[in-house]
Amino acid sequence: MSTATATTTYTYTHTATYLSDVIMGTIADVLALLGITPDGATRWDQDQSAIAAWIEERSLEMVVLECRRPDGKVRPIFEFPVIYKATGEGEFENSRAAMARAHAKITSVPSGTTYRLFCTYRSGYTPQPGWSPGTRASTDGLRSTSFGTLAEAPHASASARYLR
Amino acid sequence: VQRRREIASAPKRSAAEVWQTIRRLFGDTLDRSSSVERADVDAALDPLDGVARMLISAGHLEGHPLVLVTGELWLEITTVSGGSALSLQENLNPVPGGAGASDWTLYVPQVEPMDKLVRTTVKGHDHLSADEPTALVQEAAKASGGVDLDAVARWAREAA
Repeated sequence: MSTATATTTYTYTHTATYLSDVIMGTIADVLALLGITPDGATRWDQDQSAIAAWIEERSLEMVVLECRRPDGKVRPIFEFPVIYKATGEGEFENSRAAMARAHAKITSVPSGTTYRLFCTYRSGYTPQPGWSPGTRASTDGLRSTSFGTLAEAPHASASARYLR
Repeated sequence: VQRRREIASAPKRSAAEVWQTIRRLFGDTLDRSSSVERADVDAALDPLDGVARMLISAGHLEGHPLVLVTGELWLEITTVSGGSALSLQENLNPVPGGAGASDWTLYVPQVEPMDKLVRTTVKGHDHLSADEPTALVQEAAKASGGVDLDAVARWAREAA
């Protein structure tokens, strides 16, 4: 009797593409929810490509979405930490449904609020087009709420935190 | 004729690559018609370049299809992500039915929380609509006793 088996090998590129996609999609939903005008397609591609590259080289610590109000205050802030795994085991899963339920907890922002994306790093990183060094706003005094794991992939996972 | 196509998204493709694949499929399908110019299709889809990436990345097109209505063709496009995307058997060939197209409309789903953004994006653009295509088809069926999908496409644009 003969048998056959199929094995799927997941690469770091798969993990990076998947997690960057879920993170960017979550950011897109948050911007839409808050009524903040998103950047165009070119900027989107630069951001997704950079985040994917940094996940693939395992340098990315977290992606940060800062909402800058017309009065200069920066809140809310969303953090998307990435945790790397020692092995490449597991499947691709996401918690978009749970994140959608968490939308009810996100408070509105005034008209004219803009946004900025930051990335922090756990090690040296390769510069990416459209990205330059910057300084995050202070999170002092902001209350943090965890939205839990956002996505799992074979080589890493991403979660979400909400600071208001 | 109702057709469906599934497009593999992450981790196989980034959102930008998915949208380019969908654009190519629409273009290849409509290009079979002698009444539709490929360049016009490309130009008509340009306004969606930003919001399409957002809808794809957020996973909204997995449950809410883009619907292309033209002639007798009703084409639904959804995306598939995760491990299933890597094993998906895609058919990216031009979809039968495009040759009869003389007019066409692409219906973009209004999915919360992107509903307002979708409406704003398609407003004023020929060939793009945020309306629910099913309701329009029912309306057309009531009015004529049959479904004239070209008329549906025209009505959608006038309503946009």
